[in-house]
Amino acid sequence: MKEQQISKIGEEQFFAIFDNLVDGLMVFDGDNNLCLINSAALKIFEINEKDILNKSIEDFSDVPLLRNLFYLLGKNIKEVFRKELDCRENLILEITSSSILQKDKRVSSLIILHNITREKQIEKTKNNFVTVSAHQLRTPLSAIRWSLERLSQSKAGKLTEEQKELLGRVSKENKRMVSVVNELLNLVKIEEGRYLYKFNSFSIEKLVQSVVEYYEELIKGKEIKFEFQVLDRKMSKVKIDAGKIEIVIRALIDNAIRYTFPGGTIKIALGSKKKEIEFSIMNTGIGIPKDQQQNIFKKFFRASNAMKMDTEGNGNQLFIARNIIEAHKGKIWFESEEDKRTIFYFNLPL
Amino acid sequence: MNKKKKILLVEDEKDLKFLLKQTLVEEGYEVDEAMDGEEAFEKLKENEKPDLILLDLLLPGMDGYEFLSKIKKEHDYGSIPIVVVSNLGQEREIKKAMDLGAAGYLIKANFTLSEILEKIKSFE
Repeated sequence: MKEQQISKIGEEQFFAIFDNLVDGLMVFDGDNNLCLINSAALKIFEINEKDILNKSIEDFSDVPLLRNLFYLLGKNIKEVFRKELDCRENLILEITSSSILQKDKRVSSLIILHNITREKQIEKTKNNFVTVSAHQLRTPLSAIRWSLERLSQSKAGKLTEEQKELLGRVSKENKRMVSVVNELLNLVKIEEGRYLYKFNSFSIEKLVQSVVEYYEELIKGKEIKFEFQVLDRKMSKVKIDAGKIEIVIRALIDNAIRYTFPGGTIKIALGSKKKEIEFSIMNTGIGIPKDQQQNIFKKFFRASNAMKMDTEGNGNQLFIARNIIEAHKGKIWFESEEDKRTIFYFNLPL
Repeated sequence: MNKKKKILLVEDEKDLKFLLKQTLVEEGYEVDEAMDGEEAFEKLKENEKPDLILLDLLLPGMDGYEFLSKIKKEHDYGSIPIVVVSNLGQEREIKKAMDLGAAGYLIKANFTLSEILEKIKSFE
């Protein structure tokens, strides 16, 4: 805020605004001593102004409720944006700290404490609801799966070809429901930071090959020209959670097949650069509209042209894929031109 | 002729129990069944010791976890391999069961009966 503006509303009014803000605010001077704190922040930390004012951020390590804030920001008060902080039981804050510069020199730091406890509680309730419902759904889905299996093995009498075909369709839909349930459970795990990884040395080439084999029939059925190219003669093994990376590769191949018109092309390439391996998959087809590209890795998002072409899918595969790749310290991105082609890439550190 | 292998099936869901039991019997296993942990202990005491226990986790009385922790302390039954067959499938649930001594863990909805049979055979 400009000085003229402060003088216009008056210093007293300015501080009244500062003090009455719903969010907690703290200002540290250039030596990282607390010089200003509003009532909301005092209430959050259950502390009196006189006990904390003029203290250095390093002194916070001795105060139980402030300790986590010190651990987050460090003694030099680093800049953070909307970082979640578990302050105490039933108090979760979102912390933003920014440096206030004068002639390129940091003269103070402003810390904003936004209480997100209620949002987190709602999120937890929603996640619990999804988890419980998903588990409840698994039991009847298992009973259906197993009954269908016995029927298709003619354990309950010989089946006609038509009956077999119908059973095949029902089984496919049953499997799809199981995948939707599993995907919902994975989403909750990602949101709660419980999506665990087991890293082992693994050949990514073999992994891609096995997923490609799984989709071969589907590719042939759509008369898609398909190519899988390994650019290096000898690919090194990578430390990955193979099960999770398989989910990513499946999602990308599945999408490519889904959005390629019959007779189109899919090209997969696998190569290694200095310290990373790179996977890419190109498909001709509907592409991703430019104005929707920024949403493609968001939860429950499907591009409008994708929804028109294929009503299946709940738009979470790429969200899960991005989380998996980032947990491997890799990167996932894409290039796309509507009605022409899309290329998805991911890399993984060697 | 070889003696039939014996399996104790601890499962409270009637439909799932029926399907699993039918499949196991057809494969030549002798199947004893129980609704929960308490009944499973009764069956163990009444009948001949099984070669394998298939155990669900969410059970009306004594649940699967409690059953696992108790049976592993029993001198006579502690060595019977126990395969958990449950629809709980979070990592922490799997870890808890494995830490308590389960020999395997199968998420029902993710496996066909034939796949479950294969796993059972691998414990023989």
